[in-house]
Amino acid sequence: MPEPIIRVSNLVKTYHTGEVEVQALRGINIDVPAGEMLAIMGPSGCGKTTFLNCVSGIDDVTSGNVFIEGTDLASLNDDRKTEYRAKRMGFIFQFYNLLPVLSAVENVELPLLVSGTAPSEARRRAAAMLERVGLGAWSGHKPAQLSGGQRQRVTIARALVNDPAIIWADEPTGDLDSHTADEIMGLMQQLNRDQGQTFVIVTHDPGIAQRCHRIVHMRDGLIEREEVPAGAGAAAARG
Amino acid sequence: MDSLFGIPLTTILAVLLVLVAGIFGLLGWIAWRNPLLVKMGLRNLTRRKTQTALIVIGLMLSTLIISAAFATGDTVGYSVTNAAYNDYGEADVIGAFDREKADPSRDGLLQQDIDAVRAAFEGDPNVDAVTGVIRTPAPALNPTERLSEPSASFVGVDPATTDGFHQLIDQDGNLVTASELGPDEVYISQRLADDIRLNVGDTVRVQYGNQPYDFTVRAIVRDNALTAATALTSEQAAGGIVAPIERVREIAGEPDRVDLLVMSAKGGVRDSLEATKVVRDRLEEVIDAQGLPIQVISDKAQVVEIAELIGSVFVTFFLVFGLFSMAAGVMLIFLTFVMLAAERRSEMGMARAVGMKRLHLTESFIAEGMGYNLGSALIGALLGVGVAYLLILVLGNVFGDFGLSITFNANPIGFAISYLLGVVITFVTVAVSSWRSANLNIVRAIRDIPEPDTFRGHDRSLGRLVKASLGVVWMMLLWLLSAITFGGFAVVYFLLKRVPRVGRFVRKPGDWAGRQRNSGGWAVVMILVGVLATWWGGWVDQQAFAYTAGTTLVLFAIAMLASYFGAPTRATFAIMSTVIIWYWLLPMPFNLLANLGVLPEEAKGWGDPLDGLLSLVGLDHEPIVGNIEMFFVSGVCITAASTVFVIFNADRVLGSLGALQAVFRGITPAIRTAISYPLASKFRTGMALAMFTLVMFSLIVMATLNHNFTQLFLGDDAKGGFDVQASANVNNPIGDLRTALTEGGYDVDANISGIGTMTSTFWETKAASDPEDALAFYRFAGLDDSFLDLAKFPLSTRAVGFDSDEAVWDAVRNDPNVIVANESILSFTQSQNFGAGGEDQLTVEGSITDLQDNPWQPIDMTVIDDNGNERTMQIVGFVDSAIIGGVVPQWLALFVNAGVVADVQDANQDFFIVTKDESDQAVSDVAAAIESTLLDRGVQADSLTQRVNDAAAQSNAFSTLFVSFMSLGLIVGIAALGVISFRTVAERRQQIGMLRAIGYSRRLVAISFFLESSFIAIAGIGMGLILGGALSYNLMTSPDFTNGQEIHFSYPVGTILFIVGVAYVASAVMTLIPARSASRVAVAEALRYSA
Repeated sequence: MPEPIIRVSNLVKTYHTGEVEVQALRGINIDVPAGEMLAIMGPSGCGKTTFLNCVSGIDDVTSGNVFIEGTDLASLNDDRKTEYRAKRMGFIFQFYNLLPVLSAVENVELPLLVSGTAPSEARRRAAAMLERVGLGAWSGHKPAQLSGGQRQRVTIARALVNDPAIIWADEPTGDLDSHTADEIMGLMQQLNRDQGQTFVIVTHDPGIAQRCHRIVHMRDGLIEREEVPAGAGAAAARG
Repeated sequence: MDSLFGIPLTTILAVLLVLVAGIFGLLGWIAWRNPLLVKMGLRNLTRRKTQTALIVIGLMLSTLIISAAFATGDTVGYSVTNAAYNDYGEADVIGAFDREKADPSRDGLLQQDIDAVRAAFEGDPNVDAVTGVIRTPAPALNPTERLSEPSASFVGVDPATTDGFHQLIDQDGNLVTASELGPDEVYISQRLADDIRLNVGDTVRVQYGNQPYDFTVRAIVRDNALTAATALTSEQAAGGIVAPIERVREIAGEPDRVDLLVMSAKGGVRDSLEATKVVRDRLEEVIDAQGLPIQVISDKAQVVEIAELIGSVFVTFFLVFGLFSMAAGVMLIFLTFVMLAAERRSEMGMARAVGMKRLHLTESFIAEGMGYNLGSALIGALLGVGVAYLLILVLGNVFGDFGLSITFNANPIGFAISYLLGVVITFVTVAVSSWRSANLNIVRAIRDIPEPDTFRGHDRSLGRLVKASLGVVWMMLLWLLSAITFGGFAVVYFLLKRVPRVGRFVRKPGDWAGRQRNSGGWAVVMILVGVLATWWGGWVDQQAFAYTAGTTLVLFAIAMLASYFGAPTRATFAIMSTVIIWYWLLPMPFNLLANLGVLPEEAKGWGDPLDGLLSLVGLDHEPIVGNIEMFFVSGVCITAASTVFVIFNADRVLGSLGALQAVFRGITPAIRTAISYPLASKFRTGMALAMFTLVMFSLIVMATLNHNFTQLFLGDDAKGGFDVQASANVNNPIGDLRTALTEGGYDVDANISGIGTMTSTFWETKAASDPEDALAFYRFAGLDDSFLDLAKFPLSTRAVGFDSDEAVWDAVRNDPNVIVANESILSFTQSQNFGAGGEDQLTVEGSITDLQDNPWQPIDMTVIDDNGNERTMQIVGFVDSAIIGGVVPQWLALFVNAGVVADVQDANQDFFIVTKDESDQAVSDVAAAIESTLLDRGVQADSLTQRVNDAAAQSNAFSTLFVSFMSLGLIVGIAALGVISFRTVAERRQQIGMLRAIGYSRRLVAISFFLESSFIAIAGIGMGLILGGALSYNLMTSPDFTNGQEIHFSYPVGTILFIVGVAYVASAVMTLIPARSASRVAVAEALRYSA
């Protein structure tokens, strides 16, 4: 069996809010093979987003290990982790988190510029990626001039433009109507199929989760159960 | 100090107390009606402590500046007043010989004149004592120490009548009396004792009529008017030797001689001012009635009044120079509250959605603002006193050179006014900014959607524009009435709106006006106000500030109107701001174009295009006059215009910085975000930029003008080609200096190249063209051939018939009827010098620029010599003002041939020497050698180089003082940067989290924030530098500004680099802190953060 792209063992995350200690993650173990589209579900406060933050390296863990592509995140300092994120990861957020002062294409090219791509090359690739997500004609528009769905497409383009190995998506359709959510999910599925990138998607929406290869249900900081959706075989086969 | 701008301080205090009481009343009313609003506002104070600290700093600066200005002015006023009291003591009215009223055979006062006055005042309850005093210059020597003071005064006092003045006080504070003095005993004033190291019991030698007289020092007495040692009553402030009057008469060989009449009014030192005025008036009546040859030369009440005026002038100066900083402070308050409102836009939208009115939001902000305000104004007022104390330390050194001791004194009324004024200014600014911030669209606010372009009009019909204008007029009318009634009208209007039934009649027009107002209406009203101001300033009152500010307002309004009607906003404002900058820099742009050949030569000097155009149809205006306020007006207008230009065009400029990305590839993303954010927040960036630019502009202009004026009046030209001035003592005439020095054993030929002699006296004169004009005494300085050969006195203008400066000086050499004058006698120059002038001053109509521009005939002058003979002489040239800058007071004269004054008795004799070695040390050595050689004759010799250097140092000290005071504004600019930077980090936490998530390193985040703030600092510094530099050049090369004086303009590069360096380093330090905190934001927490 090939080495999983994400390996999490006994992950614990504890917060201190004043004098109160909150155990957000109580010992998570999970492996994610490369190219999988994994959904994480669970009620509010169960630790989904904390799990995503810890595994993607944007938050520190209290104990346990996270291996990404065989590298222990704990062994990387902040700069190395940041560099790793810039080159191998992409992020999609519920509220898009685009920079309002930059145009769509400027937002998309930011990760390329960060990883040292020449500005002209970065612009070319960002424009191509926007074209790919169906926003070629909107590249000069600022976020305020775009609809919610369009903004999320820009976020997806920004997440994918660097050709990352893993895409982390936190409620990517949470702020969208059902029709747009369906479109966005279709786009992510297509990209997963075409480019074989690993997607880890945190969602409340069972409809979204059902379109992934595997669903992990969390409760109270632990994995309660795992499920393989009915259509996953077909999806995997297409992938 | 009792008044400011002519308004009594108590009146100002009373008005401010009423206003502040009104403000507190309003706050109380809000708290009573809506305690929740006040709680909301006050709780916001503690939300962000760093930000609160910066806001408090920003708010307190205006108060600090006002308080510092008051405390400094109070201290100067108090110190000068104190000096007046100390100098005069109980000598309240002083009279001297009046040649005009005297018998031609008389050349001074006699004891009989004093006796006549005493007899006239016998039994007058307002008079304590009357005495006569001799005060005559005589060199004093300490033969033991070989030290001398050439400028000492030999004072004779009448033992029988002097004691009533209580002026002879020894070092232990005991009164002494002249009647105790033996024939060979004297009292020595403290200053003279210090200068030549005399102690009680020592021998002091007085040189009189070239004869030595030795005396024993019986006691050392305080310096004051009677001991002839004080700066305020005597030009020669070197101290005095006090002897019984009979002894001095005996030495002088003049048995009845008296020089001064001195009277003491009823009361002590400080409580005799009213009586002094009465005594002076009565004395003048007695003089007229009895035909006594006496004129009152000064009285204590008058001097105290002048002293208080000096204090008031200092407060005014510091307030005017502090206006830039205060303006920046007000902008900071405005910006702070606009930013606070932006931060809480969604909250405010929600509050409005659940039923809060606009007024409620305004009230909440006002409560918050006053929470900051009340404390910060107090801190500011206290710190202002501290700053004043530091300023006084510097001032003390400067004034010390003038013999004035400065004692720190902060007046409680000034302090209270500073505090109250700070509270009122902040309240008004907070109220206006709160009202503006509370004006929001609820949906846009909740969804955080940007507001639409406010300049563009949707309904552009004429009817809509008229309604909009009426809406603005209505609001301005309310403001105007409120301002006139110190806010009273606003309170009545506010309460009336709430009266049942009646209220709707008040509310309706207000609501209608509020709905109608838009940028088009504002533009129309601005045009009307601007035209009115221009007309008043140009054609009614000839006031430059109204004329230029009005024109600028019209130009801005035209841009607004064009944009309202659909013209592209960027292009419109870019063009108009360029036009305004061009207008304010006139005539420089025309000069440059003329130099480039684009415009004809006559375009040089065009400075008023509006007047030029209107003159074509005969509607040109009279010349307009601008004073010190123009410094502030020009700063505000030019800064506003340049800020508008930069804000509307910075993306173009900064776009080109994209090229830097290739060079600094590692920080390309940081450059991208750093450029984009400031331009996205135009208002915020514009305000901060304007603040920085305004302060830098004021500092650059101030430093450059001071530098050039110092160069102008205190450069090498001020020495007139000479190195040393030697002044003979009038009681020990020298005759020929070369001979006297040679006889004294000094090797003249080895050290001196040439000696010019000036013999001067005061004669009455006036312009012959004006028979009504009164005669005035003025110095006539006779120059010998040697002086004329050696002097380098360039002329600023010559009469018709004189082709060169040499021709004019040749005329002086050969023609006893020729005069070379200086521009200080011209009416225009006098009007520029803060109202100097008057009946006693020699005045010739005209200005130096008129004389330079238009050929002029020699000016006939009527002159009355010391024998009472009248003659007519002609002014044929005016010397360059660099020559009469104050380095040699004797050069402020009408220059004539030496023969004209050759026969005058007791004329002053000054020698001007050119040394062989011109090094500073050699010149000082020659001066010292002359004094030493002619020690017994009391000749005083000074190095002119040293005098120029000392004067320049004094001028620089003043300049540094004012620049330091004005640099308080820099703190405002830097605090503004801090407020913006900290605010930016707080409101962009989520975006920082995202940037960190997608790969921005901590360093890149810090660089991005640092560059972003640096954009404002660098742009502000750059704009201030360019505009300040350009305006300074313009002013210093304008004949109107320099009174026709041509100068070699230069920038004080060292000072400017220092100012720029301090400004940038301080702003960099301030922005580094939030930049570092941005870089340390925890990514996961930031992504969860909701601003």
